[in-house]
Parts: sequence; structure tokens; C-alpha cells
Amino acid sequence: MSDFAGMEDLLQDFLVEASDLLSGVDNKLVELEKSPSDRALLNDIFRGFHTIKGGAGFLSASELVTLCHLTENLFDKLRNGELSITREAMDVIMDATGSVREMFSWLERGQRPPAADPMLIEHLKQAIAGDLHLDGTPAPAAPVAEPVPVPAVPGGDAPPWDAFFEAITGAESETKEAAPSTEAVAPPPPPMTEVPPTEVPKSLGRRVGDKPGYSGPVGRREGEKGRDNSIRVDTARLDQVLNLSGEIGLTKNRLTSLRSDILNGRSDSDTLHALDAAVSQLDLLVSDLQNAVMKTRMQPIGRLFQKYPRIARDLARGLGKDVELVLSGEETEIDKTMIEDLSDPIIHLIRNAVDHGIEPPRERLAFGKPEKSQVRLEARQEGDHIVIIVSDDGRGMNAERLRAKAVERGLISDEEANTMDERQSLNLVFLPGFSTCDKVSDVSGRGVGMDVVRTNIQKLNGSIEIRSTVGKGTSFIISLPLTLAILPVLLVRLGDQPFAVPLSLVREILPIEAAGLQEVGGRATMVVRGEILPVLPLSYLLGWPQEQIPEYGVLMQTADATFILAIDSFAGRDDAVIKSLDDFRPKGVAGVTTLSNGQIVLILDMKELLSALGEHRGVSRAVLVDSMAEAA
Amino acid sequence: MPDPKMKFLVVDDFSTMRRIVRNLLKELGFVNVDEAEDGVVALQKLNGASFDFVVTDWNMPNMDGLTLLQTIRATPALKHLPVLMITAEAKRENIIAAAQSGASGYIVKPFTAATLNEKLGKIFEKMPNKAAA
Repeated sequence: MSDFAGMEDLLQDFLVEASDLLSGVDNKLVELEKSPSDRALLNDIFRGFHTIKGGAGFLSASELVTLCHLTENLFDKLRNGELSITREAMDVIMDATGSVREMFSWLERGQRPPAADPMLIEHLKQAIAGDLHLDGTPAPAAPVAEPVPVPAVPGGDAPPWDAFFEAITGAESETKEAAPSTEAVAPPPPPMTEVPPTEVPKSLGRRVGDKPGYSGPVGRREGEKGRDNSIRVDTARLDQVLNLSGEIGLTKNRLTSLRSDILNGRSDSDTLHALDAAVSQLDLLVSDLQNAVMKTRMQPIGRLFQKYPRIARDLARGLGKDVELVLSGEETEIDKTMIEDLSDPIIHLIRNAVDHGIEPPRERLAFGKPEKSQVRLEARQEGDHIVIIVSDDGRGMNAERLRAKAVERGLISDEEANTMDERQSLNLVFLPGFSTCDKVSDVSGRGVGMDVVRTNIQKLNGSIEIRSTVGKGTSFIISLPLTLAILPVLLVRLGDQPFAVPLSLVREILPIEAAGLQEVGGRATMVVRGEILPVLPLSYLLGWPQEQIPEYGVLMQTADATFILAIDSFAGRDDAVIKSLDDFRPKGVAGVTTLSNGQIVLILDMKELLSALGEHRGVSRAVLVDSMAEAA
Repeated sequence: MPDPKMKFLVVDDFSTMRRIVRNLLKELGFVNVDEAEDGVVALQKLNGASFDFVVTDWNMPNMDGLTLLQTIRATPALKHLPVLMITAEAKRENIIAAAQSGASGYIVKPFTAATLNEKLGKIFEKMPNKAAA
């Protein structure tokens, strides 16, 4: 049903590249509002529409060509100083980019876009003529001068340009016999340096497998999915992968020859030494290869960031606020799968900041703050983590008010509220059903947001925390692993059986002693630096019998619980290469990995294990202490 | 007769467009094609290796196609190169500017392999037999 049979590749390339381009244009438009006569900006935007038009022409998306063409003409006049930008013109331009984006989504569905809103076209024409009327009615009775006469789609009919060009260059027209012979044309050999979009290997992205099935892709979904599955990779990175796999091949040959030597009875120290060297080299090469492959999945987060200034601008304008979204760290690289999954949570945080965080201009002035406010969106790498921060210079969050609200909503009890510290209070906003905004705006304030944000971040093995100072502003700090394909884990044992738990959840490891155990509310707890924490034996979480005394406690912090996981012993830590269980996913198991000795280990999903036990989880102190006494 | 081994340089900032031009050239049997994303990169490549033909877009950042053309014509080592301008600018003054700056041909987007073939054919005819030798 596609209008683009045979051109799918071209269409995909165009969409990926043109969408990037359009996001760039959107950002530049936001900048343009600040410096309306910046020629470089005007030129860039002009070129953006121009380039999209050129590509659209090849796809015969004539309505897109027409729209881009008009917008381009408008920018041509703006950059030449024939016109200057007005607020109305800006609105029309914003509408035009919106309409271009809509047309892209038609293309994504494999359909040629229909014509843009005639009103928009009319407005563009008026703007080009320097006579813009935004009041909805078409221009006044006087016939509007036809805008710059340019054929909408140069194509079909013989363009006069040829003759014209030749007239100037002085060439006579002798067009008939010019066609070069075709027999000299050899069948083209395969392309030399063309890099096809690399398919993302499914097994690498652990979350790919457990995304809700796209069983019946319809319309837009289908198009999006097509895009999601391809990735643009710097050729240098691909070359590195190629190079390393070549090296590994060579090392493998070396090992094969050593094996036959050894099988033939040669085990002198030279042979063994060579074996040792070859294995070490393989070790090095494989980890290099893993890194190199990982790098092919890394994309600058700027791709994601660039669509936000426009969103923030539109939102702030709608709310009558003057907000500037300041980006930094756009070059920070992050796994492609994560970029897609981060998009919505960040939009939500920005909306929240603009809607709730930032005060209305009058309130800001009353507090002696500048009327113009800033929302900052930053990314940076810290060790093996990526940190993304969304911060505002707004009113900040009041812990007291948050607690009161949560009690009022029946989310926590009075006692719970009283024992909460600052950090815990701020985290209340992540509870489902929590919303501090009494009036529900169409922007945010429905209380369905922040818990979803946190859930989404956790799905990426990340965490989110809040820092806030009343009157100064709020920061949301998202911390994410560099990649989803490799997960640093702590290997713990229950009896002889090892299990892997994500290292990101582990805060510390401590010994468990009977004397340190207390019972609170019928549940075993331990006091760690003044904090009373429940002790949950791994056997209990898994529903296994406790055969041994748990000797160690792993202090774990998930998003909604901090507890001590009681285990028998440790098997160390490892960078687990996660294999997702595609069709079979037992509850509480995030995936499996293989240890160096070939043993298969389950990677536990703590959140699922905990939620399976419900609210009143825990074991009595007796369960732990008795098993200790028995063993003693 | 054009030599199918002729080396083309396709200059455009939009990689989709480079790919389109490249595919069209491939259809015509020219597979020896390199790419550059703007005039600056193009000049580096032209100065670094030997090319037989330049196909360039007009509107590009850093250095546009017209400036590239003018620079090529002003560089003794490059000035013999045929330069085909590809652009969506179907404006009279652009054509004049291209022709006056010494463009070997001018082609308006969108175009087909047949159009490209015809344009190339005209340019080949005018070329000294050097390229074919």
C-alpha cells in the first residue's frame, strides 16, 4: 500500500536526515526569536527548507515541495533584508514547520502527504508579499498580488533553463545524438564505500525483547518501527569493528594450530607460553570488540535534546511565561535504545519545570528574580554512568507541603509523614496518584506523570533523584548506565546456586549477626547508621527453603524500597552480557548470563520480586535467628 | 566515449541527496564516485586526489557550490574539471551566475537518470579527449 514502492530505502534515509534537519530548524527558529536579524541563522533556516524541498522533489512529494518552497521564499526575503520578521510571521513559520513535520509522518506511513492547510499556504503567501493578516479571514478584498512566480514543482515539462544556460555559455544546441552509448556501460560492481544502515542485532538490546509486542503494526507505528531499527554509524567505528574481528580471526588460527600441537603431545614450555599469550590476546581483543560494537550503538544525546527548545518555547508561551531552555552536553553519547526511551520522560520533566517549577512572571518579580527564567537540560558522563539533569530556577519544592499533600491524598499515613526526611519527602512526587497542582492544566498536573517517568527510567536500569531549594529551584537528576547490553552485576549465592543482582542497586555489603537483628512490627530489621531497614533473605524472595544461615547482607536500594538482602555468600562481581529470554520470562528474572566456567546464572529483577510479595513483606527475626542458633 | 572508470566527486550537504546522485550515476555505469559534504571538504579532496568530474549542489554550509565552482576555475590544477551544478534554484539570476562562473552544466532538482545522462553527454562532448584516453 506504499506510494513509495522501490524507494523505501531512499525514503527512510530522507526521513531520518530530514527529521534531524527539521529539528535543527526548529531550534534555530527559537534562537531567531531572540535575534531576529541574525543573517547566519536566517541563512541556515533557509537552507534547511531548501534541502528538504530538494529531497522531497525526488520522492515526488509535491505538497511538501510546495510548502517548503513557500517557506524558503519567505526566508529568502528575510535574509536579503527585503522583509523583517514580525511576531505574526514567526507564528506562520512555526505553523509551517509543524505542517512539514506532519507531512513527514505521512511519509513514514508510506503515503504522499496531502496539501497543507490552505490557510497556512495563504498566510505564507501573504507573508512573502509583506502583507500578512492573521485574523483568519483571507486578505482584504483587494486582489492579493500573486507571490513570487516560481513554478511549484519544476519537473514534468521541459525546463527552459537548458536553452537559457546554453545561450549564456555560448554552446549551440545539438541535443539529439548526444546520448552516450550504452554498450560501454558495464554492469555496476557492488558499491565500494557505501555503508548501509546497520541493523541493530536484536539480542543486544535487552529491552527490545520485552517491549509490548508490536503484533499488529498499523499506520504510523509501522513507519516508526522501520526507523527505530536502523542506526547511523560513523564509518570509522565500523572499520574498527571489522579490524578487530579480523584480528580475532588471526588469533583463532593461532589457537587452532596450538591445539593440534598440544593434541599431538607437545606440551613444552614454549608451546604453553604461546598458548598463554594467544589466550591473553584473545581476551584483550574480545573486550575491545565488545567496546567497539557498543560504540556503534552510541549516539550523541543532542539528537534527542534538539527537539526540546521548541517544545519548551511553545509551552511557556501558552502559559504566559518567559522561559529559556539552555542545553549543554549535547555531544554526550548514549545507547540508541535509551535515547528513544528517554524522550518522553524528559519531555515530562521539562513540562513540569515550565508549568509547575517556574513561577508566573509577576511572582518572580515580587521575589526579586529576573522575569526571564531558565530551564537547563544537561548531560554528561560520570564514570560508567550518564547523568542527565533537568533543572529550573523556579520556586522549588516544599517538603512540608508535599508531605501534607500526600497525607491528604491518603498515599501515606501521618506517622509515615512524620518520620520522613527531606529526600524521602521530595520522592513523594513519584508516587502514583500524586499531584500537587490543584487545578488540572492540560499541560501537566494529572498526577499520572512522575511515577511513569520514574518507572521508565528504572526500566533502563537508571535512577532519578530530586534536589530542591525553596525559592531557588529544583533539579531532577537522572542517572543511567552507559549501555543496556552489559550490566555490572554482583554475584551472590544461595547455597551453591549463584544469582546475579544489578550492581547499580547495591549500596553496601555488611555481615549479618544475630545481635544486630531487631524485630519491628513482626519483621526482622537491622539498623544501619540510624536507618531501620528490613532484612529480606533471598530464599524468602525466591520462595526457596532456607538451608543455611545467611551470613551477609547486601544493602539494596531500589526506587521504592531500601532493604537488606540476606544471602549465604558471594561469588564476586561481573560484567554480565545479558541474554534476554525471548518467549519465556519467569517473574523476577530479568535475563540470564553465562559465567566464565560456563554456568548459567539468572539475573534477578528485584523490583518484580519485591512487588510479588506485596506491601507487608518480611520475615520474623526468629526465622533468621533460629537458623543461626541451629547452626551454632 | 566516456570512460566508465571516470572518477566523480559528488558534493552535497544532504547525504540522502548524495546517495540519490550516486545511485543515478551508478545506473549510468559510473561507479567510481567519492562524496564531500560541502565546498571546503570538496576542495580538500580535489587537491588530494585526481578526479575527472565534479557534481555539486548549490546551497551548502561552509562553502557553497558557486564559490566551489569559482575556486575550481581559479585553481590552475583544477580549472579543466567539468563541473555540473545541481540545484533546486530555478531562478534566472542563479543560472546566469552559474554560467558566468564557468559551470559546465546546470540541472534542476528533481531529475531522472535520463536527464542526468543527457546533461553528462553534452558535457562529455565538449571535453577534450583527454578523459577518454
